[in-house]
Amino acid sequence: MSRDGLTAWLLGAPAVACIIVLFIVPIGYVLLLSVTDPTVSLDHYRRFFTVPLYANVMVNTFRTSLIVTVACLALGYPLAYVMARRNDVVAVVFVAAVGLSFWTGFVVRTYAWLVILGNKGPVAATYALAGWGAPPQLLFTSFSSTLGMTHVLLPYMVLALYGVMRKIDPSYMRAAESLGARPFGAFRLVYLPLSLPGVVNGCVLVFTMCLGFYITPILLGTPKDMMISQLISQQIEDLLAWGFASAIAVVLLACTLILLGLYNRFAGLDRLWG
Amino acid sequence: MGIGAMARHIPLVLASLVAIFLVAPMAVIVPMSFSKAISFEFPPPGYWTGYYEQYFSSHSWLEATANSFIIAFGAMALTLLVALPAAFGFVRYRFYGKSALNLVMMLPIIVPAVVSALGYYSFLSPLRLVGTHAGMIVAHSVLSIPVAFLVIAAALKGFDLNLERAAMSAGAGPLRTFLWVTLPVLRPGILVGALFAFLHSFNEAVVAIFIAGRDASTLPKRMFESIRLESDPVIAVVSTLLTGAVLIGVLISLFFRQRPSHAA
Repeated sequence: MSRDGLTAWLLGAPAVACIIVLFIVPIGYVLLLSVTDPTVSLDHYRRFFTVPLYANVMVNTFRTSLIVTVACLALGYPLAYVMARRNDVVAVVFVAAVGLSFWTGFVVRTYAWLVILGNKGPVAATYALAGWGAPPQLLFTSFSSTLGMTHVLLPYMVLALYGVMRKIDPSYMRAAESLGARPFGAFRLVYLPLSLPGVVNGCVLVFTMCLGFYITPILLGTPKDMMISQLISQQIEDLLAWGFASAIAVVLLACTLILLGLYNRFAGLDRLWG
Repeated sequence: MGIGAMARHIPLVLASLVAIFLVAPMAVIVPMSFSKAISFEFPPPGYWTGYYEQYFSSHSWLEATANSFIIAFGAMALTLLVALPAAFGFVRYRFYGKSALNLVMMLPIIVPAVVSALGYYSFLSPLRLVGTHAGMIVAHSVLSIPVAFLVIAAALKGFDLNLERAAMSAGAGPLRTFLWVTLPVLRPGILVGALFAFLHSFNEAVVAIFIAGRDASTLPKRMFESIRLESDPVIAVVSTLLTGAVLIGVLISLFFRQRPSHAA
């Protein structure tokens, strides 16, 4: 090994050792538990892949993650676009709004939705004021869980888009318009393609985070339409089935790694958090 | 105004609506924290500061607050200790296995939090570290390595190596150069990395729910359990205080970021 290589690995050694001993080994425990608790067998995996209830959980998890990702993209794109294109007080206010929600914890923001959608919350009060009678059951449904996750994950989408959009040279749009493109044409033919790497980054980030999301589905969702994390939580808290919960966790980990592996193949993983 | 001129404002209108969607839910919590209502009720039936008094006199809430600070500081210190040299090695040298090193450094944010949480529970139980500050600090410091590494590596990439060459050619040794030139120039990047690591631990809930137990319970864990079990109105107070602290932090960082552009 070259001298540079040796120095680099020596500098990285403490961090790598920490991650191997204090992270990869614990994950190994999950793998081990999934095939040894209570007995050595692959029964947990067989059960997970054959019982229809669990297939439903998987389908529901992927469907919800897809909806949340599309919703985050639809909401995040215009916000990131304006943040990247303007250089005035409006842009600063938007950056502050995104920063505020990014750094406020998931639990706090999920709690806000409990208040808003609750049966004594502002939505119910509006219904009463308008004389529409009792509002529909909003809380503890897949609607509230999806809405909450979209709100919680939106800043990640905006920041991923903003990171790419900020580097797009504004003169490209001016050039397109001066050559006769209408504003929307210039956007569609020039800006949109240049911003696509940000779209991909944001979608991969939000989708993978959503797959294993724990806090919001558990606080806002319903056991009728469970996501993977709710199933894991139920197995541990209600049934103390650590082995089966570990097997589900391994499946979740595998799904995440496959998705990020595909991304790595086509884009290179180091760009995801750039 | 023509249709074309109106169309130009569409992005701004949409962006404003989305920004309101992001911030409005947090704004709802503020009046809630002054509400007299026992459960979640909006608009509040009356206002008082009683739940603030309850927070500041509640042993369990104050203990969770103290735990959050202790664990986040401990995790931040440990994270910096290993992430700083790793970022130097990663940015300054070209070597075989560079992308492998990057991948290993990113693992803690790649793996879903529930999976890490299960792993830490099984790993720390036999060591009798579940429900201890030490266990939480260890877990959170590893989970914060990627954010600190990313921020510090980004700062290092923007570092002008000519500054070091100038110091060396003026007779400074490697150590003196590092302490007097490299470190001061990189200080903002390192401080931001430290802040990110701190906040990552401070906000982390899932691993805390699994391994913090009662003695090392942090604010996010205490809030999560409170929401599920008793819906204690003090949650609104804690949420308001946390959101307020983040708001102040964001405003300070914007103030510092805006200044150079005004000077220019």
